[in-house]
Amino acid sequence: MIQTENVLDAKGLACPMPIVKTKKAMKNLESGEVLEIQATDKGSTADLQAWAKSSGHEYICTETEGDVLRHYLRKDAAGAKEETITIPEISLDAFTVKVENGETLTILDVREQDEFEEAHVPGAIHIPLGEVETRMNELQPQDEIYIICHSGRRSGIAGEMMAKKGFGKLLNVVPGMSDWTGKTE
Amino acid sequence: MTKKTAIIASNGGLFDAYKVFNIATAAAATDHEVAIFFTFEGLNMIHQEANQQLPMPEGKEHFAEGFTKANVPGIPELIAMAQELDVKFIGCQMTMDVLGLEKEVFVDGIEVAGAVTFLDFAQDADVTLTF
Repeated sequence: MIQTENVLDAKGLACPMPIVKTKKAMKNLESGEVLEIQATDKGSTADLQAWAKSSGHEYICTETEGDVLRHYLRKDAAGAKEETITIPEISLDAFTVKVENGETLTILDVREQDEFEEAHVPGAIHIPLGEVETRMNELQPQDEIYIICHSGRRSGIAGEMMAKKGFGKLLNVVPGMSDWTGKTE
Repeated sequence: MTKKTAIIASNGGLFDAYKVFNIATAAAATDHEVAIFFTFEGLNMIHQEANQQLPMPEGKEHFAEGFTKANVPGIPELIAMAQELDVKFIGCQMTMDVLGLEKEVFVDGIEVAGAVTFLDFAQDADVTLTF
């Protein structure tokens, strides 16, 4: 989950209201700020992606929580894109081999609490994506860190945030726990 | 450059009104410059009284429940939204003359003009639709 103070409640609204409300809410944001749009309209995912594309904003992701879709959009994609850092990826297979060989790895799991509790790679450090910004100082910037989530998307976002703060040796495990067949705890 | 969407509304049913105003507000929210030309039965959609109770197509009345359930906004609400987003409403002068209707019976803020006014807007539109 991405933390933002800018939350728009568009739950229960049908098309095109979520888009109309989003446009209005976006006006009040500064460039680079993130807006969370809560909606129950199932078409809103595709619509907001298209809207962001044609309006010059960045569509970050959508999280699903029961019937509620949480969409995250960043205002003015052009400005945000210049600073985008994509961290290198490591395939889940290559990562699995390292774990099974008993290598000492620093593994950062950025999924939510319940996902982490259900199953995680033994020894993984847990910091949910929403807390990465404030808690990354618990880790060493010079360490090689393997970041993992469910599919590789959140770990990519976390990696980008950490790379900007001077973490030099980050690897995004792709896809992630969705396909993990190794040991868990 | 700003994209333009030009819409002709020539039918007066509830479904027609939703098609017109949903597309119009969505386009306006996506920063399109939007104009709707209301002609013949399409004028019902912006008639202050008629647009409160636009008819469902015959035999489709049971969809009323679906509209309520899906929490679809009412037509007057969509009109207000569209106007707030600067969608231009053009009422067809010729139809109004034929039906004996004055500008006052329609929602505020409409422009009354002829076909050429719409064509002038539509000639370089990126999206042109007829409902």
